[in-house]
Amino acid sequence: MKMKKFAALILGITMTAVLAGCGVQGAAPAAPAAPAEEPAEETAEETSEPAGGVEITVTTTFAGEDTNAQNYKDSVAAWEAKTGNKVSDTSATSDETFKTRVITDFEVGSEPDVLFFFNGADANDFVNAGKVVSIDDIRAEFPEYASNMNDDLIAASPADGVKYAVPVNGYWEAMFVNTKVLDEAGVAMPGADYTWDQFIADCDKIKAAGYTPIAAALGNIPHYWWEFCIFNQQTPENHLDIPQSATDATGAQWVAGLNDIKDLYEKGFFPDNTLSATDDETFAMFTDDKAAFLLDGSWKVGGIVGACQSDPDDPSTLDADKVAHFDVTYFPSKGNRKTTDLVGGLSMGYYITTKAWEDPDRKAAAVSFVEHMTSDEVVPLFAQHTASALKNAPKVDESKFNPLQVKAMDMMSGVTSLTGAVQDLFNGDCRVSTFDGMPDIVEGNVDAADAVQEGIDVYKETIE
Amino acid sequence: MKRNKAGLAALYVILGLWAATTIYPLFWVIENSFKVKDKILKQSFALPIGDMFTLANYRRAFDRLSIGRAYTNSICISSCVTVGVMLLAGLAAFALVRFDFKLKKLCYTMVIAAMMFPVFSTIIPVYTMETTWHITNTSSWALNMLSVILPQIAGNISFAIIVLMGFVQSLPLELEEAAHLEGASIPQIYARIVVPLGKPSFVTVAIFSFLWSYNDLFTQMFFLRRPEMQAITRLLNELSSKEGTNYGLMASAVTLVIIPVVVVYIFLQKYIIKGMTAGAIKG
Amino acid sequence: MSNIYKNRKYIILFLLPAFIFLTVYLYYPFFLNIFSSFRSIRTLGTYGKKWNEPWNENYVKLITDPVVRTSLVNTLYMMIATILGQVGIALVLALLVDNISKGTQFFRTVYFFPIVISATALGLLFNLIFLYDKGMLNQFLEFMGKRDLTDWKNESHALATMMLPVVWQYVGFYFVILETGLNNISEELYESAAIDGATRLQRVMYISIPMLRNVICTCLTLGVTGALKVFDLPWTMFPKGMPLKQTFLTGTYMYYQTMEAKNVDYGSTLAILIVVLGVILSRVTRRIFKESEDL
Repeated sequence: MKMKKFAALILGITMTAVLAGCGVQGAAPAAPAAPAEEPAEETAEETSEPAGGVEITVTTTFAGEDTNAQNYKDSVAAWEAKTGNKVSDTSATSDETFKTRVITDFEVGSEPDVLFFFNGADANDFVNAGKVVSIDDIRAEFPEYASNMNDDLIAASPADGVKYAVPVNGYWEAMFVNTKVLDEAGVAMPGADYTWDQFIADCDKIKAAGYTPIAAALGNIPHYWWEFCIFNQQTPENHLDIPQSATDATGAQWVAGLNDIKDLYEKGFFPDNTLSATDDETFAMFTDDKAAFLLDGSWKVGGIVGACQSDPDDPSTLDADKVAHFDVTYFPSKGNRKTTDLVGGLSMGYYITTKAWEDPDRKAAAVSFVEHMTSDEVVPLFAQHTASALKNAPKVDESKFNPLQVKAMDMMSGVTSLTGAVQDLFNGDCRVSTFDGMPDIVEGNVDAADAVQEGIDVYKETIE
Repeated sequence: MKRNKAGLAALYVILGLWAATTIYPLFWVIENSFKVKDKILKQSFALPIGDMFTLANYRRAFDRLSIGRAYTNSICISSCVTVGVMLLAGLAAFALVRFDFKLKKLCYTMVIAAMMFPVFSTIIPVYTMETTWHITNTSSWALNMLSVILPQIAGNISFAIIVLMGFVQSLPLELEEAAHLEGASIPQIYARIVVPLGKPSFVTVAIFSFLWSYNDLFTQMFFLRRPEMQAITRLLNELSSKEGTNYGLMASAVTLVIIPVVVVYIFLQKYIIKGMTAGAIKG
Repeated sequence: MSNIYKNRKYIILFLLPAFIFLTVYLYYPFFLNIFSSFRSIRTLGTYGKKWNEPWNENYVKLITDPVVRTSLVNTLYMMIATILGQVGIALVLALLVDNISKGTQFFRTVYFFPIVISATALGLLFNLIFLYDKGMLNQFLEFMGKRDLTDWKNESHALATMMLPVVWQYVGFYFVILETGLNNISEELYESAAIDGATRLQRVMYISIPMLRNVICTCLTLGVTGALKVFDLPWTMFPKGMPLKQTFLTGTYMYYQTMEAKNVDYGSTLAILIVVLGVILSRVTRRIFKESEDL
């Protein structure tokens, strides 16, 4: 997987990207400030100025409650104003119905001209069918296409190793901390050298103080613990390997990782009802100062800050005292993985479909649209405190960030590597036995090795 | 008729208790639509007064969707579905009850089986089919509406036939025979006797056809993509993200979504009046 | 059967439009679904690249899969709950409403409310009522002096916690159907019975219920088949059969395999199971509560 190189390379860039955002996180109503000063109208590097009056269909996941829904609307409006083209927007919230819809559209030939979608195994079907155009093919005609991106950070499709999707905003996964709970349990805020043993000892103390150490709903969303506990047995170099059997080196690491979760469960570090609770419930425990740690993704920064505002949509109502006792840190390390090695990357991007490419009018419009949406000015709006693949991201004004975003940026500045999530490659029904089967594993009803083997068998069948 | 006062009071108490369980959830949804999202999880059963009161959820909902157009689309779709279902299912139910023919059992089984088909397993072939007919995914509003209306009619027909069959079976045959003696043809018997007598039953079927078509988020999400074609239930799809679910927005969306259905129900159920049959016999 | 209904022409004329719809929009897709159950499909919306090996893999799995067994047992409970709870309560309520003169409109309207509220919202409401920490029910029990919290969604309570809301929600549906049936009964029958000195209870037992038989039978058919299909509220409250896959129903398990686990061909097989069971059970229901017609 190219992702290994990607992991190392993303670092330098991430640091710039981390400082690159200038949108106000989780603040749709405040967003009007952003479009007003959006400088995208005078993008210098537009090479393909189409005649205008072309309508292209665009499907993205920037809809509904997505933090970037408003940014997207504004950027589309700016592009329409600039080029005189029209966008027929068919975006929807990303869920299983949405994915099915996109796949079906490709099957029946009613795909959009431009698609913002996952660049992992989810896209394999239409990539294999040749329904999207690779970045190299586009550059053969439009040499400036995505030229502001660092190519090493653009993920290739797992189907054929070719790059199709131009990324915008990335993500990271890390451990959020409720410092108020830590204080009351007499536990210090973990740092960049946090180890698994320290973590276990801290959890014991927190539990003894009457709090729940870890907010997680293992019966609902075990994804993050799955990823990190397996990562903990490995290094960024081999994290994206997929085992051939439960007994080979990687397989044994996976089994050991799952058994670590079982160990935490048996020690009682998860909520009493972790197998029957929903993720919303355990998240509420965390924000209500009942649980100390929450392993989650960069998108939860907005969720936590929102929970500290009396009106989640209005950043001016932020309760400063409350947000002050939330922090974010690295995941404790065990073995070869450094504490500061995190999971993250750029998992989605803009595709141009073959259908649009073969239509002379829409071809230029589609290219122009993607160039606009991935320009140096627009990308930072979307990327905020996460990551982007820009070569030269503009400097950001840190004063526009809320306290948790600043802490997140601090943490990101100490990251030594960002590796993609192996579960994105091992997806669909492969992971059923270890994700949905997690309760059975931690309860001891199913042996972790058997569950891993079952998933591998399905995986092998899939790639045949 | 004499009534036992105590018995009557007990009756009202029982009915009232059940009514309490059905009114409260609606009240709860409306009440929470005026609260911000995190308050809903923590103080969901408290009244939204003072600091807790906000209209932000509604502002946001109105922001999401052009509500007027979405209502128009929804009501247009569901009304057409309702009319279509009534026309087709009424005739079919009548024929299945009153006529005797060899394939009757098979037809009935087909109706029951069709009711069981999960929408998740039929929607993709339907979508493929409609794409080849060029009625979905077009810029034509009317065709796009039609692309949802047709599968929804098919989806509600079975239920309608089964319910209407139950009612037609209860109708006294004597009236139809009398009309026949007076020289009425079969379509006339259907139109002049069965439909008027079965009016309450048709209204009941209409209510549920309307409701299910209106609430069918999955089909609508699949067929209606462009903003100008979206239906009101679309709001319900716009509530969750990786950050979590916006419960305040959900409560306001649910409130906005149910208003038309409740109005349609109150309007239609007036036609479920007692004594229609008696009146018809007298007349 | 009356001899006026003999003309074949009308059978075709009346049945054809509805059956064309059923064939094009339901039967044709469903035959493709049967085809799918023999393919190996990983993405919904495609037909896969190869056949299953052995060809009947999914059908063998259907018999051996312990979750299918759990979901069938749960669905059976759900059917019993539907018959006794939904149709039973609805019948009582409908008979009561039929016997009052003031407020019928009011009760008819409010009993309908639960059906119009989306499952997402009801799911949240019930989740908050049954919430482990500070849910309405646990707070109430705490107030009554109970010391420890009860996890209403754990293995021993989950089934009841799941069924209660579903039963409650659909009472209104059967209520409306039964009410309509009661309204179709001629007032004169009651009047002449009253003249003969029948008590209120006797009139219910000997007029209302017998006259409602066809409609009750319809309700039972809908209830039994509905239990096989029920999906949204259980899924919202207990996604993925939480806890430990103990709460799956045939409807939720089919959804889970198709949309979540991405085992689309197995999901198709489960859909076939649902249809076959639906047809058999509706026949059994009709046989038990035999109608006047010989369907």
